Amino acid sequence: MPRRLKFPPYPAEYRYVKDPTAALRLRQTQNADGGWGYFPGKQSWLEPTFYAAVALQGEPAADRAWTLLKSWQNADGGWRPSAEVQVPTWGTSLCVTLAQSRGEFGEPFQKGVAWLLGSAGIEGPLWRRLIFRTRLLGNPDRNLDLKGWPWKPDTASWVEPTAHAIVALKQASVKASSSRLHERVSIGEAQLLDVRCKDGGWNYGSHAALQVDLVAFPETTGLALIGLQGHPDLGKSLDLAARMARETTSPLARAWLTIALRLHEAQVPLSPVEIASSPETMLAALSIVAEEKTQFFRTGAVT
Amino acid sequence: MSPNRREFLAIAGASVFAGYAGFAGAKPRHNGAQKISPVSIIKAKSYTDDLVSRILEGVKQCGLDVRGQRVLLKPNLVEFDPKTCINTDVSVVAAALEAFRSLGAAEVKIGEGPGHRRDTYSIAEMTRYRSEVPKFDALFTDLNRDDVSPIQGFADRGEIYLPNTALRADLIVSLAKMKTHHWAGATLSMKNFFGLVPGSIYGWPKNELHQVGIDLSIVELNRIFRRTFAIVDGIVGMEGNGPIQGTPKQVGVLVMGSDLPAVDATCCRIMGIDPLRVEYLQMAADRALGVTEEAHIEQRGETIRSVRTPFELIDNFKQLRLA
Repeated sequence: MPRRLKFPPYPAEYRYVKDPTAALRLRQTQNADGGWGYFPGKQSWLEPTFYAAVALQGEPAADRAWTLLKSWQNADGGWRPSAEVQVPTWGTSLCVTLAQSRGEFGEPFQKGVAWLLGSAGIEGPLWRRLIFRTRLLGNPDRNLDLKGWPWKPDTASWVEPTAHAIVALKQASVKASSSRLHERVSIGEAQLLDVRCKDGGWNYGSHAALQVDLVAFPETTGLALIGLQGHPDLGKSLDLAARMARETTSPLARAWLTIALRLHEAQVPLSPVEIASSPETMLAALSIVAEEKTQFFRTGAVT
Repeated sequence: MSPNRREFLAIAGASVFAGYAGFAGAKPRHNGAQKISPVSIIKAKSYTDDLVSRILEGVKQCGLDVRGQRVLLKPNLVEFDPKTCINTDVSVVAAALEAFRSLGAAEVKIGEGPGHRRDTYSIAEMTRYRSEVPKFDALFTDLNRDDVSPIQGFADRGEIYLPNTALRADLIVSLAKMKTHHWAGATLSMKNFFGLVPGSIYGWPKNELHQVGIDLSIVELNRIFRRTFAIVDGIVGMEGNGPIQGTPKQVGVLVMGSDLPAVDATCCRIMGIDPLRVEYLQMAADRALGVTEEAHIEQRGETIRSVRTPFELIDNFKQLRLA
């Protein structure tokens, strides 16, 4: 059982979360199976294991993590989110991205890319899509012909899994280029742009609900911008992201916004907002990633 | 996902146009459960009232005994907007914590898996849960990212993964908010169980539940979690385009009971909504998960009439208005 650790408060003014204990905490809270739980001492999950592996890349701990993650890939190429859960999910994108960063382009990578290319949001039941297509109820809140990626199969597209899939496939285009991949990325980007809110940012899946405008969330705004690297006309979105990074009280949001702004070579603002401490594994990992490893998510545009 | 009224009308219109004339109208309802369920309505004008005493009074009226039990308080924590009242007020959560401790519960914890925002602790910070609930971090489990176990049988999906913290509780107290809901009509103690479904698998939002059907998912979760009690925060509810973009509505009540469909039906009547027209409440009654007809509910504390405060309803749900 990992040792319980105390979590120091974040500094009142910070560039991101310059947490000098983060790497040490990650090393000390790695589970015996090689993964990390969302919280120290809990079951290993794909998402915190992925971020910790990125943060500690080059260390034996990251190798053990990758060994565990590879064991969670299903025969169809999709990745399960934990040992206990059998269904493949959006975390497949994270594992494809991690494989590439490790220079591993073998079967797990190839099958993961194929799984992502075969995955798309279903955007509601058939009767709803038919109604929207006929415009019987006026204009729909979003273009249902544009397919992003779902959290899990047989569900609709959402901003976060779409952004991660675009990053994975854009990076994969270097080693697994195909017209299908390019088309899929292009549609995914169009889907993200279609659901952008009026304020320039992103809510979790649409810019409106029942034709009432939604406001952007900082977490999804950061992630969408990470997915849209290389895309023109993001000035308003980047301005909003900078304001959100300065004002948000969410360390998770600030991490993803910081990564996004750096990837777009925009200024990361200092923030006067004090953020409370948190025991979360992902935040410890992201404090390192946002500070030192933003290039991990770099993609540029697919040409 | 079931169509709402506008969508239903569009489907019906299209069916007629195509020559289909077989629609026979909604099937007749019958209430399978015949028991009498107590539901307590307690007045509380504001969040600065002595809410511990109010909750103890309601629990006593409902005859709930929690001695020696592991209790999980499940508030409604979704996202934060300072201009409205999306979440169960922190005062109600803190008061419930103190009340259930004083009643001899072996353990009282708090758990929630917010449906929209990823950063649960940040939402807890913004809603003052972390600052005003003593030792909140030690008591709280983020159900979106808890360890999970599979449960067989969830609608047509075969199985669903649910958080161990909820599965192992002896009693789950649904600390819901009294709100309208733009897909379900009203969101109360039963709908609040969407927060028991882990985002780590099903995402943010938990779209799987929408694909299965919101009404059916509500009922299925309430079929799985049967050791429950409800405390609905109707001190200030939300009317109009709930559950996120609506308007605060002062009602001044807490509504409590062990029969969640009965509690929600009572809340609906307070809100001026006919519970017999709310799809998931009727599905719950049909499956004998609880009662919804007035004759089967023993109202304790205040009467519905004395606290009735009709909520504004969006066009899609005008037909739910209580006559």
